[in-house]
Amino acid sequence: MSTDTQDNLPFYQPQSNEVELFEHAYNNQLPLLIKGPTGCGKTRFIRHMAAKLGRKLYTVACHDDLTAADLVGRHLINEKGTYWCDGPLTRAVREGAICYLDEVVEARKDTTVVLHPLTDDRRILPIERTGETLEAPDEFMLVVSYNPGYQNLLKGMKPSTRQRFSAMSFDFPDSATEVYVLLAESDIDKDMAQKLVNLANSMRALKDHDLEEAASTRLLIYTATLISSGMSVTDACRAALVEPLTDDKETIDALMQVVEAMLGS
Amino acid sequence: MEEQVGSIWHNFITNLADKNYPEAQVKLKDIKKTIGIFFRALGGDGNLVVVQTDASEYKSERSLLRRIARNTEKYEFTWVDENSLRLPEVIDCFAQPSLNKDLYLWLAALASVDKQDDSWIVDNQLRTQIVLDAFPGLKAIYARLLSAHIEQRPNLDKISKSELPVEKAVLDALNNPGSVKQLPNSKYMPRPVVLWLHPNPPELANSNIKDYGDSDNTRTDKQKDATEIGKKQAKRVETPEHDRGLITVRMENIFTWGEFANMDRSVDDDEDPDNAKDVAKDMDEMAIARNQRASKTQIKFDLDLPAESLDDEVLDDGVLLPEWDWKQQILVEDKCRVVSMISSDKDNAELPEHLKATAKKLRNQFQAITPARTWHYKQTDGQDIDLDAYLKYKADLLAGHNDNSENLYKELNSGARDLSCLLLADLSLSTDTWVNNDSRVIDVIQDSLYLFAESLNATGDRFGMYGFSSRKTNPIRIHTLKGFDEQYGKNIRTRIASIKPGYYTRMGAGIRHATNLLKEQVATQQLLLILTDGKPNDLDMYEGRYGLEDTKQAILAARELGLKVFCVTIDEKANDYLPNLFGSNNYALIKKITDLPKSLPTLYARLTL
Repeated sequence: MSTDTQDNLPFYQPQSNEVELFEHAYNNQLPLLIKGPTGCGKTRFIRHMAAKLGRKLYTVACHDDLTAADLVGRHLINEKGTYWCDGPLTRAVREGAICYLDEVVEARKDTTVVLHPLTDDRRILPIERTGETLEAPDEFMLVVSYNPGYQNLLKGMKPSTRQRFSAMSFDFPDSATEVYVLLAESDIDKDMAQKLVNLANSMRALKDHDLEEAASTRLLIYTATLISSGMSVTDACRAALVEPLTDDKETIDALMQVVEAMLGS
Repeated sequence: MEEQVGSIWHNFITNLADKNYPEAQVKLKDIKKTIGIFFRALGGDGNLVVVQTDASEYKSERSLLRRIARNTEKYEFTWVDENSLRLPEVIDCFAQPSLNKDLYLWLAALASVDKQDDSWIVDNQLRTQIVLDAFPGLKAIYARLLSAHIEQRPNLDKISKSELPVEKAVLDALNNPGSVKQLPNSKYMPRPVVLWLHPNPPELANSNIKDYGDSDNTRTDKQKDATEIGKKQAKRVETPEHDRGLITVRMENIFTWGEFANMDRSVDDDEDPDNAKDVAKDMDEMAIARNQRASKTQIKFDLDLPAESLDDEVLDDGVLLPEWDWKQQILVEDKCRVVSMISSDKDNAELPEHLKATAKKLRNQFQAITPARTWHYKQTDGQDIDLDAYLKYKADLLAGHNDNSENLYKELNSGARDLSCLLLADLSLSTDTWVNNDSRVIDVIQDSLYLFAESLNATGDRFGMYGFSSRKTNPIRIHTLKGFDEQYGKNIRTRIASIKPGYYTRMGAGIRHATNLLKEQVATQQLLLILTDGKPNDLDMYEGRYGLEDTKQAILAARELGLKVFCVTIDEKANDYLPNLFGSNNYALIKKITDLPKSLPTLYARLTL
């Protein structure tokens, strides 16, 4: 649960019109679906927008065993007896906050069905166990995200769920933007940032062939952070850019050769 | 005795003349994967396969010692063609292994740049400049390689005058890439530059390729293997007129057979591909004669066609499917006709005796992994209160016990399987190969199909099994072994028992058809499992890159529809091309073929749990 405020706006460098789109969706009470690869800035974007709009943010990382109760709430027990405890979704509805379900496809499809009444024009959340029906205030917004690249597919979203969202796609920022992001997030110089971005773009060409996932902006920032804290460039790249992407020894060797070729002096 | 002395002398001189360092050699096969990734990361075409090249004859001034040793000057050069990045099989020109490895990397880096100029010397300089600019880290490697290579080049004082300008130009070009605009005229070719790409890569003459009809393209997989041993520069020669008597063959040809090995099957039907491999290796240029007449292999192939009465029953007139043409980058609609067939055998086959024990074990295992969605009581955490546990806890509390305050919740555990799987088996002619004394590839596939069906039947997952083979675009034969709605039983076993090898592997069409079948199944998870023994290939242009690209498009299309596509192969060379088709995590190579029947169900379990 984030406490970002307007004074302390998390850094976000827009790639195109996403900020505008988010604001329009928010002002018109439309739920939003964000698609994009791992580490391209989805979560950061939502934190940024929540702070910008002055709303509290509830983030739920979805997983296989996430149940509707985990979202809506459940009865708990203390010495006096049972009591009801709101889940993050219910709390967001009550408080008029932004509720963000990260990697929503990981959740079972029947779990996401509880979102249905919230995502059409009714905007209500019936809580079966307590008999309550909450009406969402205008400030409440539901945002979900997923990574369409995962071949874990079939976990894809139910079309009936997906249809209820306005949607946008994210991708890794273009070279100039990514350099700018790296400069903002770490203390490396521009030349190094440009080299790192070039390296990442080379490695992205290997996606689906040799690597399952592309090198993300997040990993680049890690690399830049390690470099600016004094690690050698090669070691930083190995630790933050190469090893996280693959376990295969030959692939690691090859990637390190690429690192040497592009960053060596 | 004379012979012995002669050979000792020969070896002695050859060794003296040999400037290589076999003890420091680096083999391509050991670093193939690294090179491939390196090449692609530097911007090389991801569809190219890394393969070994072959020595090309190179006419430059030879050293005296080499002339005495009678070494024909052969060098292995690097070049890129439409299917592959070709690199030397072994690099041993430098004394340190690390330098030899660097040379591989350097050559791959040069090859990752597009052709810059028609002149060999200018092109290599430009490529060098581009690579060094783009990848500053390679400067150090280049410097190391350069100084080692220059040391090996002849001393300028010791070469003939007429060769001097050429050698000087090469040295300038190496030291200051971009400084030499053209090669000075001379009767000598410059001495080979190991740091550069092939001076004269075999051209891809598209027009020539088109001239080949389908008629002379009927090589079996094994014969194709033989030609892949070393890619030869093809030079077309006249077909020998075989109505001349045997004795009229000019005798000197016997001594220079290296210039023309008769691969014309109509003249000499040499069935042994290994023999051809050896010949091919020693030749400088493989001369391939065109022959419009159907050769014996062609006739033999047609005799392989089963008589209609013996063939499987054709179920329908066929479905038209598209095919991807990578050269034009378009999907050609209705290119392939797929016919569904079903075995007309009516026996009631039992499971073969040798599989019974394994089948029973697998059935038990698979029954155990079939999960059901149930409530788990007395949990520390859960979506609901376990009322029984809570009542007991309250009662205990009233009675004065207070030791069980934790496990009061119940949780509905996930795990209901909702899954359809289609197994697509390659039944092409190549599965007719023997793997050991007892069985052929097709028998192993058959056993695998039996055990797969037994296992999946135990899980209750919906599954279908199909086999495919093709003869060009019409027809692609899809053999229904088990439809999704059929119960596994005797009739299915009969169909599995009746599979036989035939025809070729047009994998793209097979996958597209399977995708359509699987797509009709309602399930949250859909798995397309492909079982194959080699690359896509067919009689027409469907081999090499064409087949691979079409298959890749078919796989991408299936993935777009939400199918999980996974390939199980027994082709030892699969690591060269399957990562490109399926992605490096979406295929499995079974090294020991006989393990396939047992591995397949296990793989399935791993994929779906």
